[in-house]
Amino acid sequence: MLSVTNVNIYYRRKRVIHDLNFTIQPGEIVGLIGPNGAGKTTIMKTLLGLTRASGEVKLAGEEVTPSHHAALQRVGALIEAPAIYPFLTGKENLKLYAQDPAACDSLVQRLGMTAYINRPAKDYSVGMKQKLGIALALLDQPQLVILDEPMNGLDIEATILVRKLIHDYARQGTAFLISSHVLSELQKIMTKVLILNYGTLIVNAPVASFSPTTSARSRLAVTAPKLARQLMEEAGLLLGADSGDLVVATAKLKPVEELLLAHQVTITALTPAEPSFEQRIVSILTEKRGERDENQS
Amino acid sequence: MKEQLSREGYKFYHQRLPWLMLPVLFVLMIALGIAMGRSYSRLLVMTCYDSSAIIMLLLVIVGSTSYSTEFQNRTILATLYHAPGRAVVFWAKFLVLLSYNCLLHLAALVFTVLLNLVPIVNARVAWLQVYQYGQPLVVNMLATTGVDLVTSGLILSLLCLMSCLINSNSVVIAVNAILVFMGSGFSANLLNAGLTTVVRWNPFNMLNLTNQYYNYATYHLTTHLTNGQLLGGTLAYLLLFLFLGNWAFAKKHF
Repeated sequence: MLSVTNVNIYYRRKRVIHDLNFTIQPGEIVGLIGPNGAGKTTIMKTLLGLTRASGEVKLAGEEVTPSHHAALQRVGALIEAPAIYPFLTGKENLKLYAQDPAACDSLVQRLGMTAYINRPAKDYSVGMKQKLGIALALLDQPQLVILDEPMNGLDIEATILVRKLIHDYARQGTAFLISSHVLSELQKIMTKVLILNYGTLIVNAPVASFSPTTSARSRLAVTAPKLARQLMEEAGLLLGADSGDLVVATAKLKPVEELLLAHQVTITALTPAEPSFEQRIVSILTEKRGERDENQS
Repeated sequence: MKEQLSREGYKFYHQRLPWLMLPVLFVLMIALGIAMGRSYSRLLVMTCYDSSAIIMLLLVIVGSTSYSTEFQNRTILATLYHAPGRAVVFWAKFLVLLSYNCLLHLAALVFTVLLNLVPIVNARVAWLQVYQYGQPLVVNMLATTGVDLVTSGLILSLLCLMSCLINSNSVVIAVNAILVFMGSGFSANLLNAGLTTVVRWNPFNMLNLTNQYYNYATYHLTTHLTNGQLLGGTLAYLLLFLFLGNWAFAKKHF
């Protein structure tokens, strides 16, 4: 549905985005991840025809350029900050772009904004404004929704609500491109990951590839850590220790269990010892940064 | 274009500032009427109580705010991607401001009729009495309003250009106010310095169009142009500033 081919973006003669290529299919929730200044917002603006770029951005087969936005009729976005006119009420802000008033009312209700939707937007709190910004992006069942830090300023209940709404829209075929620094939150919703570093796309992969079904290493918490450690070292079963926990090969769990039981040591917790999603992203970025520094020196 | 015009109109209609300017216009017209005194009653009616200068000021404030509100609230991004293209946004904004300009002139006409019906500021004058250009006063008043629509159109085009070049509301208002209110003085100084044949076509000289229309004898000595030449020059600069404004808006980095 959205295809980005060989896109290069320049800011005053300096290339800020290099040879960008990716696609987004209907119903996909794509997370755009990268450190500050990596070019996430610039890419989002380019997809919305707000920035000049070489290459090709096509939505439903139609090209998007700064002078041609026809394909964006069914695109919603929340970029940088909610696009809200402070002198209008929340309802009036929505009315400005809404094609279907009934669907708009239902969206207001689902986002729990009914109580204040007729108040001037200038009186809204940060969270209220953010919800209104999200509602503006979701108006009229868009084909594609682009959200830049959508959970900014939202409380936990609102975060869960927005997450659920995103899932519901995606089930109905809406595609999402979401950038967020809250990786744990992004991990809960996205189906694909794009990692951006210094203007270059370094990872374009399904999120499933980041969460292996079976972990090669397991982390143990036991009742007598010192004794357990000594026993396992002697038996050659210990791979390492991490914050008081013992790390062993998952394949060797049975002999470990038998050894500990024989010495009346009980296992109190057993968890996969793989790095978390956040740790993986950080390690990828650190690795790429190192390669870049090496190439520059 | 129709949809964008309707959105721009909707936003403009819901702002408080443009509507607050109507009573301000009325009060300032009365103040100028009192300042000029009863001996200029016919001139006051012809110029709608010198509303030209007041409308210029109001347009600078409202027009500059109309653009900078979008830039400062970052609503310009949504406005742009919802529109078929940047040019559509630029022209829709200009047309809405132009309509507001017409509304201010219409309000000035209505206030003038009211002030002539209830002569608290000046002496009541007969509408059909022949005044300037061998025409009845009412025709003089309507013609001056028509001419001022062109002059204020030039102000609007300059305002749109400057607003696309500068993001800050206060800076845009200050720069526009300086250009609009000091421009004709600057032009007069340039003309006094010489090179009249070329310098008389400078854009600031065109700001004298309305003034020259109702006071030809005085202003022609300053502008060195006839009414027709001033009108032609004003329209040419109006189109040039609009073209440049549209170009600046298309190139602007958001």
